[in-house]
Amino acid sequence: MENMDMQTGCSYKQGVLPGCSPLALSQTPPQQSSEPAYKSGEALSRGTLFPGLDLPFKNIVNQMPAETTELRELMALDFVTSELGLYLDTHSGDTQAFGTFQSFLKLYDEGKKEYVARFGPICLSDLVSAKSYTWLKDPWPWDYSGETEG
Amino acid sequence: MFVYEKKLQYPVKIKNTNPALAKFIISQYGGPDGELGASLRYLSQRYSMPYPELKGLLTDIGTEELGHLEMIGTIVHQLTRSMTPEQIKKAGYEAYFVDHTAGVYPTAASGSPWNAAGIGVKGDVIADLTEDMAAEQKARVTYDNILRLCDDPDVSDVIRFLREREIIHYQRFGEALRLATEKLDQKNVYAINPAFDK
Repeated sequence: MENMDMQTGCSYKQGVLPGCSPLALSQTPPQQSSEPAYKSGEALSRGTLFPGLDLPFKNIVNQMPAETTELRELMALDFVTSELGLYLDTHSGDTQAFGTFQSFLKLYDEGKKEYVARFGPICLSDLVSAKSYTWLKDPWPWDYSGETEG
Repeated sequence: MFVYEKKLQYPVKIKNTNPALAKFIISQYGGPDGELGASLRYLSQRYSMPYPELKGLLTDIGTEELGHLEMIGTIVHQLTRSMTPEQIKKAGYEAYFVDHTAGVYPTAASGSPWNAAGIGVKGDVIADLTEDMAAEQKARVTYDNILRLCDDPDVSDVIRFLREREIIHYQRFGEALRLATEKLDQKNVYAINPAFDK
């Protein structure tokens, strides 16, 4: 089986429960590793970075759009950072995941700078060197349509 | 504090007006297992939590749920922003329309306005995390049910994303419950409530 953990003999779809556990308490096997992982664009479409936790209703999954946009690319990088953030909340000692997390933070930071320069601010603080108060510029996120998205 | 980011977590671009869909999707805005309740449940539970993993996870998931609330509000807005009186009548959307026009109001699909009775803050580590795991399952089922009824691929795409997030959150709450209970007396994990007994 692919991505089998050599120590536990469990696949990436499985976790390990301890041999002895207290009664009267629900037990969730911890995710063993932040690998394997989807690429950022696919992770956004799937709603998770982790194939092991990707459990779709009636096995119907979202397809990646044929054409991406700058905004979608940025959303994908941001999504991977927040997904790894939740993983690290319960796996704070996982140094490999923390390294990946930091490399995605860097990619997001760079991507955001480029996006803001072309399309305007995402946060008020992005206006630090703007020529005018472009915060009010349409579209707002709920106004997206085929034409308006970055 | 909170800082607004002028973007959604996931793209929502719905082409077709369809108040019949908005009529039940609104439940994930203001219904008993919706995103408003989810964010308030987690962001309220975190104050009494004794361990940093729990404070962090409840803050981070509670914040993500606010982003999901915005996505559901966006779906309802886009499904109803251009509706005509004929479409309203055909969809049976009159009751909502007469009270809220094309505004987005936190209500359950069954008509009750959002109610804090649908969330739990018990101030006990095991009880609150177990509530959170159940809440994620209930939200997941609500999204399953929406997928059964929804015939617009632009909407189903977003719903599938939100549904998968519930599964991730369930896993994380389960892991957090384990981390918390490992710190307790393994011979009797109910001997004290670490959120109250110091």
